[in-house]
Amino acid sequence: MKTKNYDVVVIGGGAAGLAAALQVHKSKKSVLVIEREVRLGGILKQCIHDGFGLLRFKEKLSGPEYVERFIDEIHSENIDYVCLTFVTKIERTSDGDFKISVVSKDGCDEIIAKALILANGCRERTAKQIYIHGTRPAGVYTAGSAQALTNIYGQLPTKKCVILGSGDIGLIMARRLTLEGAEVEGVYEIKPTPSGLMRNVHQCLYDYNIPLHLSHTVTRVYGDERLEGVEIMQVDENFKPIEGTQKTIDCDALILSVGLIPENELAESLDIKLDPKTKGPIVDSDLMTDIPGVFSCGNALHVNDLVDYVSESGEIAGKNAASYVENKGKVNRNEIDLNISNDFLYMVPQKINISKIDEKVDIYFRSKKDRNNVVLKLNLNDKEVFSKKYQFLRPPEMEKISFDFKSLNLQDNDKLEFSISEVQK
Amino acid sequence: MNIDSFNRKLNKKLNREFNGKFKAELKDKIIRVTGKSDDWNEIIKACQMCVYRKDGIHVVNDIEFTGDVIPEMKKPAVEDKSLDGEKCDVLIIGGGISGTSIARELSKWNLKIFLVEKEVDVALGASGRNDGEVHPGVDLHKGYLKTKYIRKGNHKYDQISKELGVPFRRIGQYVGFTKGYLRPLVWLYAMYKKYIVGIEDTEIVGKDVIEKKEPALNKDFKFALSNPSTGVVCPYGLTIAYAENAVENGAKVFLSTYVKDINVENKIIKSVETNRGTIYPKIVINAAGVFAEEIAKMAEDRFYSIHPRRGTDIILDKKTGLRFDTVSTVKEIELKNKSHSKGGGLIKTAHDNVLVGPDAVETYKKEDYQTTPESMDTLYNKQQITMPSLSRSEAITYFTGVRAPNFEEDFVIEKGRNTKNLIHCAAIQSPGLTTAPAVALDIEKMTIELLKESGEVIEKNENYNPVRKHQIPQMSELPAEEREKYIKENPDYGIIICRCEQVSKGEILDALNAPISVPTVDGIKKRVRPGMGRCQGGFCMPTVTKIISDYLNEPMMNVRKSGADSVLVYGETKGGEINEN
Amino acid sequence: MKEMVCIVCPRGCRLTVDNQGDEIKVDGNFCKRGQDFAISELTKPMRTICTTVKTQFEEFPVLPVRVSAEIPKENIFDVMKEINKVVVKDKLERGDIVIKNILGLNVDVIATSDILKNA
Repeated sequence: MKTKNYDVVVIGGGAAGLAAALQVHKSKKSVLVIEREVRLGGILKQCIHDGFGLLRFKEKLSGPEYVERFIDEIHSENIDYVCLTFVTKIERTSDGDFKISVVSKDGCDEIIAKALILANGCRERTAKQIYIHGTRPAGVYTAGSAQALTNIYGQLPTKKCVILGSGDIGLIMARRLTLEGAEVEGVYEIKPTPSGLMRNVHQCLYDYNIPLHLSHTVTRVYGDERLEGVEIMQVDENFKPIEGTQKTIDCDALILSVGLIPENELAESLDIKLDPKTKGPIVDSDLMTDIPGVFSCGNALHVNDLVDYVSESGEIAGKNAASYVENKGKVNRNEIDLNISNDFLYMVPQKINISKIDEKVDIYFRSKKDRNNVVLKLNLNDKEVFSKKYQFLRPPEMEKISFDFKSLNLQDNDKLEFSISEVQK
Repeated sequence: MNIDSFNRKLNKKLNREFNGKFKAELKDKIIRVTGKSDDWNEIIKACQMCVYRKDGIHVVNDIEFTGDVIPEMKKPAVEDKSLDGEKCDVLIIGGGISGTSIARELSKWNLKIFLVEKEVDVALGASGRNDGEVHPGVDLHKGYLKTKYIRKGNHKYDQISKELGVPFRRIGQYVGFTKGYLRPLVWLYAMYKKYIVGIEDTEIVGKDVIEKKEPALNKDFKFALSNPSTGVVCPYGLTIAYAENAVENGAKVFLSTYVKDINVENKIIKSVETNRGTIYPKIVINAAGVFAEEIAKMAEDRFYSIHPRRGTDIILDKKTGLRFDTVSTVKEIELKNKSHSKGGGLIKTAHDNVLVGPDAVETYKKEDYQTTPESMDTLYNKQQITMPSLSRSEAITYFTGVRAPNFEEDFVIEKGRNTKNLIHCAAIQSPGLTTAPAVALDIEKMTIELLKESGEVIEKNENYNPVRKHQIPQMSELPAEEREKYIKENPDYGIIICRCEQVSKGEILDALNAPISVPTVDGIKKRVRPGMGRCQGGFCMPTVTKIISDYLNEPMMNVRKSGADSVLVYGETKGGEINEN
Repeated sequence: MKEMVCIVCPRGCRLTVDNQGDEIKVDGNFCKRGQDFAISELTKPMRTICTTVKTQFEEFPVLPVRVSAEIPKENIFDVMKEINKVVVKDKLERGDIVIKNILGLNVDVIATSDILKNA
């Protein structure tokens, strides 16, 4: 058993973790990236479609192209990383450091870090989590599994499928499978609006004449060994299937794109407080969790729709983790909540550290509903201090604002609240 | 007893209820019920009305069901002659907990033992589809075979689980009551169970004890019936372990092998026809679960009927397991209601999940493993009383099993009545998992007796080892030093494939190299648990498929989820041929 | 009047396009690219394709590729057919050409990953 020491350990070698590690390195602190898979790159390894990096590189890159730019930099900067290495336990040591137990081909090792960045991504909701009933045949795949089979293993997971859920991966896989010669009978979405980006609905479905059925869901699967069909039903406004609308579709696979959940098991093992809305940790403007020295970024923090934002949050976490180490863990945490009205799905960060605001804070949020011509308002002690107009707000499209909280001269008992309202005509 | 008057009375009762639709006749210890109905529940009710639980009398259901076509037994597609002409001393039909435990106990003897199972793996019927509870038997009644075996079986678990290397824990059971005034009554019931029925660990505990041990349970529980000997075991793990230990001791297990017919001459089974050819056994043991009646019929010894009863269980995330560590359920006052199980509960499984279930629904489909929203509602509604914080969002999976009870709701463990070289281990339902270790020993005795009676000289198997040799080390449970040792010897133990359950590649390869190797995604999942966690294989299924494909040296399109038709992928996306069918 | 969603960037502007007269009038676009997109959609829609090619390397059975520039939408499946014929035998790197000037469309099919470097 070996023990190694680093200033910062980044758990997860995907888009968030790599950006975080590069930033720690730039801030002259030692850093190690721990990746559980064979190669660095995270989920982008299998996201071979383009559209990544438009904001960051002003180019339409494929997933591998995007992430390999970061990997190249990790190599050229000689940043330490380990692959096929799995974190089994994290403990706090008596002097406030973190002891990370890992297992790999080399055995069981320990790494001591002064700060920790959780960048371990998210996972997909499964058929069981959305209570699909019937038999348990082969051929029920999450979009991510179907994507891995197709793009990493070069295997065709279906010849004719139904896709449930209009999340981006589902839409992307509809096009991908069509290109590979499979028939996508249709995409079914329980909500009255698509879950993925509109451009994906157009370029992945409509370009290939794949119908999108809103307010519909799969209620049952058929087939003893391989899936033979699914039952589809229309749903009412409470998502309850409407009796009499049953329709059976013959197909050999059901592909699910029904949502992503941050992987927060490591965070939970450290007793980090989670936000029930994001299912990720509650963080302050430094992306530091309620446990000093533990930072969270990327899809482990909240599920993003653009990788550019994932990398960005990695960089914020990296920079602040380095400065946490630089200050020997002495942080003044004078935090006030960023309250949000019922109009939001969520907002990240959830808190502002008022004793440490030195530049604009990036705030990410999603509207709970489709809204047109609205205004986002920030109230300080019930007095409006900021507003911004939006032509559209859609839950699948995350919005970002950069706000200078310094100008507000915030005090301990101040109350901040964001809300969204219709533009007064 | 006067048979004529018995029959008269019985038919009078039937007529009153069903207006002459059904008839019953007792003859040769069989109450044969006949008639016609399109309502399965009515058929069940009629047969239940005819039960006479004495003198080995059983109800046989010969009512024609006209409501639907009863599905035929699902059969493996394979047809060959690989077993044609084979002779054996004992042929066990059915690879569930009964069949495999019997095979293992019989392997103490120098016998040629065959076990045939129609599915691609053992434990794919009720033995793999139950809650894994090792029951105390507090819900059982006097005079039943179930009751005869329950304590013996329960006691055996410490030894058996150790020998076979199967996770087992005694975690205790609470049956909680919300009405405090019932306490004297339940106390009397408990004392009756303890001293008269023989469930010796039965006691009553108060609110303070429950709250201390299980703070997540309903705060309104005033007291509970407690049975500390209650345990949990991995039910398919135990079945597989029994089968593997039997194989290690010389028994042979043939999967995807089913019985087509049985040739009986002069009350003796001469041969058994399978899809693998004709086998010539000296003794046949019927452990065919829901199909035991069909086997009994083929063997010309049908004297009981099986009426399948579905039950659904829900598995919750291990996170729920952090706030719960017993078997617990609520009991609304229904002491008069003689139900045939305690009606489900919350169970901390041997793998540290929490299981909710099961319910009980009569069905004419013996292999209907579909789950329904109705079952889910029933289970949650009841158990949210037991544990109010129980949330639907904690479910990671759910499954349905089909029990194999007869109308007497008791086991049939006896030598053939007409056919001499036959032993029935049939109508095994809850608590059949608990009783299996004890039942297997009795069946072993019966088998040896029968063989000896026919003049055979039976010798001990000198090489018998009750300890399963092929035990796969579970890396995630080992202390770091020990884990390190394994990894140094075999680095594959350090490669995590399933992140939710922390299963290593080494463990997967061990499962593939087991005495009973089932190189399918489900086969591996049952043995070492990749895909059992919260992501349900989303991340690891493609990798596991690839590992199996490499192990078999076959393309991925030839790897199956479970059965022969459970194709996972259809071939390479390009440059390769796409599997057309 | 025609409505469409611009797919150039994630913003996904909802465009209304009026092509009644000689001139094509585009509304709802946030930037100039929306205008170009709408006009191209009406005259000659162009798309990118991203897919994989078979390799002879056991560890990496497929290599991610894309076209170096957009191709006419109508040619997508013809291009796929060509790509599916190829088996990569060299350890190509990111950006290397897999198929030059595919179907004479003046675009190349290029590798989008370095995975084969370590094959």
